[in-house]
Amino acid sequence: MVSFAFAFAGHDGIEVDPALKRYAGQVTALGKRDDQGRVYSLQVKRLPASAAFEMDELRGWRLTILAGKRFAQVFEIVGNTGTEVSVSADDGPLNGIAVRDVFVIENVPVERKKPAEPQ
Amino acid sequence: MKGAMIVLCSMLIASVAAAQATRTPAQAVDAFHAALRSKDTGGALSLLDRGLVVYEFGLVDATVEAYAFRHLAFDMDVAVATQWKLESRRVGGEGDERWVLSSYRVTGKQTDGTTIDQMTLETAILRRSGGLFRIAHLHWSTSDAAFQARAQSQRSQQPAR
Repeated sequence: MVSFAFAFAGHDGIEVDPALKRYAGQVTALGKRDDQGRVYSLQVKRLPASAAFEMDELRGWRLTILAGKRFAQVFEIVGNTGTEVSVSADDGPLNGIAVRDVFVIENVPVERKKPAEPQ
Repeated sequence: MKGAMIVLCSMLIASVAAAQATRTPAQAVDAFHAALRSKDTGGALSLLDRGLVVYEFGLVDATVEAYAFRHLAFDMDVAVATQWKLESRRVGGEGDERWVLSSYRVTGKQTDGTTIDQMTLETAILRRSGGLFRIAHLHWSTSDAAFQARAQSQRSQQPAR
């Protein structure tokens, strides 16, 4: 079990502006599965505890998983409520993510690799 | 079953994609810094070994998850706000375990306009798995004594981790 504290400092002693707006959070429950067993939404809470998200304020933002089986996986948020985020099917389902996994949501679009052009 | 296979395949493809350009240990280190500069959180994480331990100016992140959650975002902010010029580099090791020692001149400005101009020393240990080198250990320090003292003072005021 990973224990998380909430002190954000890396190169301590340097104070710079954030490169982008971001929120950290933790999965509290998986969303409903579709008829093929795929999950495209998560119930979440913010870390550290803060006010719930505004409706759809995260639309188009990037969700990156920071722990668990889906570590480093990236998803585009297509909508949210105060405590639920839904992701685009373009990045695949959220299956494999577990309750208590942590993530970061950043105000930057997902960049998807385009398939190489035939030579 | 079919759905699970699709999920596993997509996970594998995505995690390998950012690391595929990595050929040498030094390139893996440079790719990590480049990912931070370009605000590519997933790309930066994909260059880290799952057994990563980070020593950063006296702080310890004992797991890759702890580093990802506690410090990666701030390191990204610093990378975007500063310029890192590689001053020296030595590489060594053999087989699947290698090391890369780098020194950088880091310049830029803090939020309050204060100038940043310091040497940052970096030790990176890399481990090869699945044919790709990933960073298993990072240790950053600085030759700037005043900066180091400031950092240690800040740390002493932080809660236990």
